[in-house]
Amino acid sequence: MNIADLSSDLNAARELRDYCSVVGTATSRLGRVPGVSSLDLLVEAIRNAVDDAGLKASDIDGVICRGPDESYSHHQVVAERLGINARFSTTLTNGGASQILAIAIATMAIRFGLAKTIVCGFGRDTWSRTHATEEARVRNETRPASQRPREFGPEYGYFGATAAHGFGATRHMHLYGTTRDDFGAIATAFREHALRNPDAQMKKPLSMEDYHAARMIVAPFGMFDCSLRSDAAGAVIVTRTDRAKDMRRPPVLIKGFGTFNNTRGWFNDDNMVVTAAKQSGEAAYRMAGLGPSDVDTAQIYDCFTYMVLTQLEDYGFCKKGEGGAFVSSGALRLGGALPCNTSGGQLSESHAEGMLQIVEGVRQMRHLYAPERQVKDAEIALISGHGGNQVCHSTLILGKA
Amino acid sequence: MSEVKQKPVPKPAPESAPYWAAAREGRLSLPKCEDCGENWFPPSRTCPHCLSSRVTFADVSGRGKVYSFVTFHRVYHPAFEGETPYVVALIELEEGPRLLSNVVGIPPEDVRCEMPVEVVFEDVGDATIPKFRPRQA
Repeated sequence: MNIADLSSDLNAARELRDYCSVVGTATSRLGRVPGVSSLDLLVEAIRNAVDDAGLKASDIDGVICRGPDESYSHHQVVAERLGINARFSTTLTNGGASQILAIAIATMAIRFGLAKTIVCGFGRDTWSRTHATEEARVRNETRPASQRPREFGPEYGYFGATAAHGFGATRHMHLYGTTRDDFGAIATAFREHALRNPDAQMKKPLSMEDYHAARMIVAPFGMFDCSLRSDAAGAVIVTRTDRAKDMRRPPVLIKGFGTFNNTRGWFNDDNMVVTAAKQSGEAAYRMAGLGPSDVDTAQIYDCFTYMVLTQLEDYGFCKKGEGGAFVSSGALRLGGALPCNTSGGQLSESHAEGMLQIVEGVRQMRHLYAPERQVKDAEIALISGHGGNQVCHSTLILGKA
Repeated sequence: MSEVKQKPVPKPAPESAPYWAAAREGRLSLPKCEDCGENWFPPSRTCPHCLSSRVTFADVSGRGKVYSFVTFHRVYHPAFEGETPYVVALIELEEGPRLLSNVVGIPPEDVRCEMPVEVVFEDVGDATIPKFRPRQA
């Protein structure tokens, strides 16, 4: 028996389908929120999510969050500020894949009786930390000290996440003829969505000409290929679906989730052109009993434009290598074949490491938006999380109840 | 300020000290497993192919090709001001492992994936770092 073969465990995963729902979701103020720490932004988002659900803080008995990288036992400090003890409480360190992983762990903890109602959230004060003062601008680096390499990078002038993801973009362009026009199609589509979202950080229209005219950062990425520096937090509240029915908002079903981590490294194998979205997506589809053709809207982790393109391929929305044509067809726009990052994404709404993608997926499944923001008749949303040295991946599939 | 303008030098982990010592002598030397014969990078004390702890360092050909690359236009560190645009590439060695480096001796706009390259050594402060230049295939 191959111990890596999961097929005999599929029934266990299927038991989790629809077992839990998201009953509350909210964000903090987004964009530029000077004078508020990442911790307080997260607490603000959680308080708003508790209100949204019509609950009290004392109804929450679990906290799963990812803290800023510098903090120790962050979940404890969050719970302290919420004034609660928690049956289940922990902090994750899978980077941008942590936020969906939190919901996966929450669902499993609730299913096996470790807690009843768990809040999952993430907050950051990246705009304030890097832009609020001249000093901050000067020492501004993409990665916190804990992630900065001491060798095999800095001596070559290699710094930051833009370059790391840029390697994948260059390789994809080489293998498949993908172009910067394709990346621009992603940036301009998400900006168009942000203009419909009054909370979005970016307020100005972005044309293809603007995209190409912007300064290069680390080629092949220019300024509009890169996600925003934001002060932003979001939170969701997860509980058992049968308990969710009496709550203030329509529950949104957690239909499936999956994780996969290319822990052999971003530079190894073909990981920079076939991401772990592939296996993490397959696991989520399997749990949900769904496939890519069932998905009505996708909220994709868009740290850089290219990452949207490759993940859409890896999730099976188009074939590997055909992502350029797919995104350039207009598919990602509201009204298109697969409306994507409908609140503007990390490229144009605000960057909270995948948390806001989850919030938007929940909101689309509630159908409470005005028609210009609502994906018409949407019943299934797929959400992605990516991070942890570019190799950790998580996928969440939500459904309209 | 002059300190800030100095280029970063490698701060080796204990397991990569032999790599940098070899570079100082103009050799590209990678960890090699005495049991399964595989090379890997970056250095570690356990073979990631078979988990053997019988690890040595062995010189490699220094030949490889550009797997992928990026071109820095933004200055992230003051010591690289005046050097942009410069190329940081992921080099796939003939022996298999990939390592980060610069491609030198060619304008950035002429660098391509799969371009054949060979190692050259450059002094930075008290260290010597391997870089790569184009070679005839």
